[in-house]
Amino acid sequence: MSAQGGVQYSKIAEIKGPLVVVDGVESVAFDELVEIQTTDGQRRLGKVLEVGNRKAIVQVFEGTTGLSVSGTSAKFVGKVMEMPVSEQVLGRVFDGLGRPIDGLPDPIAEKFIDINGAPMNPEQREYPRDFIQTGVSVIDGMLTLVRGQKLPIFSGSGMSHNILAAQIARQAAVVGTSDEFAVVFAAIGVQYSEAEYFRRSLEESGALKRSVLFLNLADDPAIERIITPRVALTVAEYLAYDLGMHVLVILTDMTNYAEALREISAAREEVPGRKGYPGYLYTDLSTIYERAGRLRDKKGSVTQMPILTMPSDDITHPIPDLTGYITEGQIVLGRDLFRQGVYPPVNILMSLSRIMKDGIGEGRTRGDHQEISNQNYDAYSRAQEVRALAGIVGKAGLTGVDLKYLEVGDGFEKDFLTQGVDENRTIEETLGLQWKVVSLLPKNELTKVKDKFIDQYYKER
Amino acid sequence: MVAKGRIVWVSGPAVKADGMSDAKMYETVSVGDAKLIGEVIRLTGDVAFIQVYESTSGLKPGEPVVGTGNPLSVLLGPGIIGQIYDGIQRPLKDLAEKSGSFIGRGITTTPVDMTKKYKFTPKVKVGDTVQPGTVIGSVQETDLIEHGIMVPPDHAGGKITKIVSEGTYDLETELASTDGSKTPIKMYHYWPVRKPRPYKSRYDPTIPLLTGQRVIDTFFPIAKGGTGSIPGAFGTGKTVTLHQIAKWADSQVVVYIGCGERGNEMTEVLVEFPHLKDPRTGKPLMDRTVLVANTSNMPVAAREASIYTGVTIAEYYRDMGKDVVLVADSTSRWAEALREMSGRLEEMPAEEGYPSYLASRLAEFYERAGRVRAQGSPDRDGSVTLIGAVSPSGGDFTEPVTTHTMRFIKTFWALDAKLAYSRHYPSINWMNSYSGYLADIGKWWGENVSKDWFELRREAYGILQREDTLKEIVRLLGPEALPDEEKLILEVARMIKIGILQQNSFDDVDTYCSPQKQFKLLTLLVDFYRKGQAALRDGASLADIRAMPVIATLLKARMEVKEEDLAKLDALAGTIESEFKNISGVKVSA
Amino acid sequence: MGADSALERTVETILKNTEQQLITSLNDALKSSQSTIANSQTSLEQEYDKIIAEGKKEAEKLEKQIIGNADLDSRNKQLLLVEESIEKVFEKAISKLQNADRGADYSKLISTLLQESIDVIGTPEIIVQTNSKDASVVQSLLSKFPGATLSSDQIDCLGGIRVQSKDGTMKFDNTIDARLERLKPLIRKDIASKFGR
Repeated sequence: MSAQGGVQYSKIAEIKGPLVVVDGVESVAFDELVEIQTTDGQRRLGKVLEVGNRKAIVQVFEGTTGLSVSGTSAKFVGKVMEMPVSEQVLGRVFDGLGRPIDGLPDPIAEKFIDINGAPMNPEQREYPRDFIQTGVSVIDGMLTLVRGQKLPIFSGSGMSHNILAAQIARQAAVVGTSDEFAVVFAAIGVQYSEAEYFRRSLEESGALKRSVLFLNLADDPAIERIITPRVALTVAEYLAYDLGMHVLVILTDMTNYAEALREISAAREEVPGRKGYPGYLYTDLSTIYERAGRLRDKKGSVTQMPILTMPSDDITHPIPDLTGYITEGQIVLGRDLFRQGVYPPVNILMSLSRIMKDGIGEGRTRGDHQEISNQNYDAYSRAQEVRALAGIVGKAGLTGVDLKYLEVGDGFEKDFLTQGVDENRTIEETLGLQWKVVSLLPKNELTKVKDKFIDQYYKER
Repeated sequence: MVAKGRIVWVSGPAVKADGMSDAKMYETVSVGDAKLIGEVIRLTGDVAFIQVYESTSGLKPGEPVVGTGNPLSVLLGPGIIGQIYDGIQRPLKDLAEKSGSFIGRGITTTPVDMTKKYKFTPKVKVGDTVQPGTVIGSVQETDLIEHGIMVPPDHAGGKITKIVSEGTYDLETELASTDGSKTPIKMYHYWPVRKPRPYKSRYDPTIPLLTGQRVIDTFFPIAKGGTGSIPGAFGTGKTVTLHQIAKWADSQVVVYIGCGERGNEMTEVLVEFPHLKDPRTGKPLMDRTVLVANTSNMPVAAREASIYTGVTIAEYYRDMGKDVVLVADSTSRWAEALREMSGRLEEMPAEEGYPSYLASRLAEFYERAGRVRAQGSPDRDGSVTLIGAVSPSGGDFTEPVTTHTMRFIKTFWALDAKLAYSRHYPSINWMNSYSGYLADIGKWWGENVSKDWFELRREAYGILQREDTLKEIVRLLGPEALPDEEKLILEVARMIKIGILQQNSFDDVDTYCSPQKQFKLLTLLVDFYRKGQAALRDGASLADIRAMPVIATLLKARMEVKEEDLAKLDALAGTIESEFKNISGVKVSA
Repeated sequence: MGADSALERTVETILKNTEQQLITSLNDALKSSQSTIANSQTSLEQEYDKIIAEGKKEAEKLEKQIIGNADLDSRNKQLLLVEESIEKVFEKAISKLQNADRGADYSKLISTLLQESIDVIGTPEIIVQTNSKDASVVQSLLSKFPGATLSSDQIDCLGGIRVQSKDGTMKFDNTIDARLERLKPLIRKDIASKFGR
């Protein structure tokens, strides 16, 4: 190993926000890993954001609280930040920078991998087509998850997103050929109780030994959150493409990630985009989300389920907005359904799975899957219109067909959407329920399904 | 004199180097020990500001920067079709061979296989005078593309002093020489991407670009050589609509630019297009398609370049006399790349941090569309149609990229999140969209499909407009407040929405709709409306009309009636007639 | 590089001596983890009988949980044991390095370290610190490095040097300890692979 790098500089020009400006530097590289040392011997990690004119701007992951201009030194390590990986990371718990916090030794590394990853060559991607049965009807039936997809949950504060994500992680793990399945969980600024809920849920399903946990909790340093999803994805990529596993990555809560990014941008006095978030938020988020996928000639896959809480439930807020432009759909939780006690409170009209069409159908799920799903969307959307209308003119002012749609709306929410936290439904059961819902309508209302499917599955109620 | 400097500053994709007094604006340079590719975008004294097309991680001040003497250019010659390039025309397949599944750095490749041999058929002989643009011969690039080998636009031309005979040659072979220039003519030449290729003259766009999408062709058509924009919030189906255009547009060449978008979307095109057949020629769609893919996680500077790379390739095929469609998804990401570089240059920002030259850059880009008479001989007419997606933040159409784009385009397909939420796809909002080509294109429909087209379209659109007003009343008072003839408008508007405006891209039959089928569906629904109003006047009840079995058939006709059985649609006209007779008949006998 | 290969040689020698001992302890570890699994199998069976009435689904869940956790427990025990062995190797290596012969080879090593430090810091104007054992070796070499002076402050380390620029703004730690620390992940991998994990 080369001794390049490793010089420690003690001339600090400025400390502002999470940034330290080191003066008089020689031979420092952009993106290089930095070890900040305080007089009392404390060590913190950081990386070079900008270098030039003998100055290096260093972003300190663990924050600059307690650092002083005179007592601080910075050691440039001579390489970018790397994560040691091997099969041994399974069943382990790390902090937000990838250091063990489970009382066990550092994993013995098979490899050290640059946590930033490299962009996947689009020509080398394998188009995602393998249906993942999550056992949650609304997802399997109408928002199908596919191996290698990135499908976020857009939630609001206090809603049941973590319960849903944990249920998916548990049940998808059970159905998949379990030896090849792994869960990578990255907690980004969430409360201890939420992270613990996840850990316990994985433990209870016996999936903990196939899981890797990265925990940056609410009281951990905020800037560390920039790193947490990246170390998690580095491990996920290793498990997927080196060890051939199907990896489900859960990142929660990406809102905290974006806020950390904003903090750095503000400290650098950059021209802000919308709501003070940096103009490069889209590009930055894409370097996380685009790390989902499958590769030709490689066995494994990385499926991402990022979770974010929309500030004030506003889907046009930059974080959900830019996320939605990158991810392959979104599962949106609805406050109204949540208040009514519906679980999972998925607002299907605002939700979407973009690559569902390629993971379902004859030979994958069932030939009528796409069409019956379209019909359910259509019917539920009509039901919502009728509900609004009924609010004005009362039920008496509705036509017979309209009244049928009201029933469909209720039936959809009660029979199809609502499900137990431990209830694991097969795709057959799910499709059956979808037909049951639309069978409340007369046949000629079913304009989205072909006649042959109506003949086969429609049962007048 | 080639510039040789030294890096003095690095911040993300932006690098400053000194000792660069010999560098030219927009010259490409090799950056650092890793020989990354960059482009000079500002010169101040001897300091060059460089945008780097690859990740700058690990780059250090002090490393060398060397000029190439050339502006960023693309190679134009046979072998481009069917390729997938990154933003600076490096074939992604070659990158994969050199660096595996993930994109490495400092890799150089040639854009096409220079050793591949093509059968060249000369079209000029010794002694002929050629001008820039003149076709000296041709090669068959793919089953679909006869590739004209032209005198490069920056070549002086003159009298042919030498030309090879018919035979197979590779790209480096000197095919012809002229007395006007020392440079021999080969099968390829380079052209700087930021400079529009010249042409002889320009036409008004009057011929529709048929896309097989009903809401576009029938309601908001675009012309060959025209400009169009498709803005929409996420989840409104922008990409699906663009894919549909790329699949079914009646052009000879399609350039699809994935500019800062999803990796899997490019993969989808790569996987799907070789298996899809062009409805007009029966050949695989990939044989007419070029992809430029600079996905969101690939370096941001190359994203800025990708748009120019794509449009230059499009112009090249236009110059051969072909109709080319260029689809750019998404121009917003391109604008963001501009914004990011502008920020690093510490330029004074205009709205939302975008640089003040955003509007002029957009204008320059869309100005490269057009139907033209190409330079040189023989006479060739070709077109470049530019269609740009816009991804307005928060779905807000008042943001800078959308508002500036609207100034430079003539067809506007506004995607609507509400329609998308109710699974009305394509979610093109018929009240907010417009086409500036309607009058000219109407003539084409009149001459080629039916003289009734213009009137029928107007009437159908009128129904949709009336419905929009009536909906307000329904929202306040409920549907019962309306008289029956207005309720019928609501009913027929719903039928137009389901039966014509909606189109299922994933349905084998519905995905493509010929002009004839579009016209027949339109005729049927307008006919239904006219007969319905007449029946109401004759005393039929709305409930009777609603209960007509033909309605469900009409709504499913788009999916159930294949292109080869369009006669079934004519038969439906008879069914409508007889069913209306029945309900009126009941009244008469009663 | 000279310094590293010396270090690797040392580790190699120690490894040979301790290999047998480590393999034995590893085998013990394996046995103990097997018995852990066996034990949990028994406890699982008992658990299983108890809850069969509560429904099969619940039982399967618990089965997975118990097996999963037992697997994980025994794996973790192995990890700890391997780590213990690694630590032993390091301890031996350190004590050996501490008592290494300060002869001609060692002087060459220090000379290499000095030159490297000057290159990295980018100036020959340096202050050199070392421990009491190496002070004389370093002092004798300084004549070859004009601009370098030996600091009177001694540091606590296994050997090697720590240098800083005379203005105090740049430091470079080139002690044996620092080098060992940098190499540690690779050495750990080497050691672990010796007992074929």
